Amino acid sequence: MITFEQVSFGYIEEGSTLKDLSFTIEKGSITALIGANGAGKTTLAKLIRGLIRPTSGRILFNGKDISRMKTSTLAAHMGYLFQNPDRQICKNTVGEELDFTLEKTVPEEAERERRKAEVLEALQLDPEGEPFLLSRGERQKIALASALVHRPELLILDEPTTGLDYKECTQIMEYVKILNQQGVTVVMVCHDMEIVLDYSDHVIVMHDGRITADGLTRTILRDAKVLAASALLPPQIIGLSALLQADGYTGFEEVCTVDEMTACVEAYRREA
Amino acid sequence: MKGLMNYFPGDTFLHRMDPRSKILFSLLICIACFVTNDLYVLLGVFVLDLLIGVFGGIFKQALKLLKGLLKIAVFLFILQALVVCTGEPAFYIGKLAITWDGLKTALLGVLRLIDITLPLALMISLTRMSDLSNAMVSRWHVPYKYAFAVTSAIRFIPVFTTDLNGIMEAQTARGVEFDTRNFFKKVGLIVPLCVPLLISSVKKIETAAMAVELRGFNLRTKDSSSKVAKFRLPDYLLLLLGLGLIVLTVLL
Ligand SMILES: Nc1ncnc2c1ncn2[C@@H]1O[C@H](COP(=O)(O)OP(=O)(O)OP(=O)(O)O)[C@@H](O)[C@H]1O
Ligand SMILES: [Mg+2]
Repeated sequence: MITFEQVSFGYIEEGSTLKDLSFTIEKGSITALIGANGAGKTTLAKLIRGLIRPTSGRILFNGKDISRMKTSTLAAHMGYLFQNPDRQICKNTVGEELDFTLEKTVPEEAERERRKAEVLEALQLDPEGEPFLLSRGERQKIALASALVHRPELLILDEPTTGLDYKECTQIMEYVKILNQQGVTVVMVCHDMEIVLDYSDHVIVMHDGRITADGLTRTILRDAKVLAASALLPPQIIGLSALLQADGYTGFEEVCTVDEMTACVEAYRREA
Repeated sequence: MKGLMNYFPGDTFLHRMDPRSKILFSLLICIACFVTNDLYVLLGVFVLDLLIGVFGGIFKQALKLLKGLLKIAVFLFILQALVVCTGEPAFYIGKLAITWDGLKTALLGVLRLIDITLPLALMISLTRMSDLSNAMVSRWHVPYKYAFAVTSAIRFIPVFTTDLNGIMEAQTARGVEFDTRNFFKKVGLIVPLCVPLLISSVKKIETAAMAVELRGFNLRTKDSSSKVAKFRLPDYLLLLLGLGLIVLTVLL
């Protein structure tokens, strides 16, 4: 779906923020971009969306060079959630906010209404709510809703869960997962390793403008060396299984979830 | 975003000078430019502006600023050249005569615009805003609240520019044609953005006001500043240069 070919990018002429990136994002996957603050995740996400153009290299979207396409016409194919939701919100009510996206991306009236109703229902938003009077977490949800309401092929989320409580967090991630199962490819920047582990299937680790690892979530998050080099901590369950492994217990090599951990421990108890 | 009115750190003699003299000097240049009608003086001031850029180590920024100004300058030039129609005609566009007087007025106008914008913008880039407000408070007895308001207003310009750029980016991402080449279309698209920008700005300022309040804004007196601004030889020389320029323009 997305292919980077030796892409570099710099905000200023001298020195580059992203250096020589090459990777592919498969159709239908959920890819997490992880890395420390300032690693270049947002910059990479904006490159994918076409908001900024690479200084060298090519970015292909479905095989076509996106530098040749207009950013605004790509809107129908891609949804983008900004790190700062306030940048995105521009209308007086939640309903209008969603209409704003739909007007430009979905031609049929009936289809618009259907999608709007579905998103309002799934994220439990009030169409009459006034975005600027709501809390930060609520605004985050509105921004997310307006980024995905038109059901784009590719959904790019810059820290979708930051500032949300546990319940909201699960709610939106579950909805993203449903969309993914219906064929939407997702790229998300995320600092919460538990969410990365629970929801993504691929991970791209960034450090200082470079990609230090790229692969399956389960493999990458077990790689203590890679994570440490990018100042990241593995999810707790993986940390625990690594500790048990280090203590000489076997059978924990594949453990990534609480359920798998329980099963493994159960097996030990039965043996004993 | 690093741009207009941002402080560019450095340690040149221009950086170290008293903030007051830098601002006064720019004002003197402004006055001189308004008084004079002499092309050579205006050209001289232009060179002086570039020299400020060179000595302040921000020549690149000066050129960038100049490039931005040139766009307005071209517009202004054409407008003036069309409007003024006294004197000998230089050439004709259809039936419309472009006169030598018109061209000269236009050139003067453009140079004047550049000459008064550059020094102030450059001097502000070479001055820490807090130093300026401190100097104004302790030396000129400007009430701190006013000095703070002025310096914050200047400080907020780049913040708003970044905000506006961010909002435009977000709109493009949602399918608004901000990536159009058509200038007028783009302006038309920016207008409706003023509301969200205003709301977010007011919110931001409200938060900033609360933040300074919490950090003891009202406890400040005029002697609170740790740096003491003082006129030294270069300051006097600079002011003398500015005054000299005015005298020159009056005499010519
Ligand atoms: N508009 C800009 N102009 C200049 N430099 C920028 C700009 N935006 C980001 N940078 C720089 O690029 C680098 C990468 O920034 P980026 O926003 O991509 O980081 P990030 O990985 O998203 O960090 P975070 O986790 O804090 O969001 C940073 O060093 C930052 O200073
Ligand atoms: Mg970021």
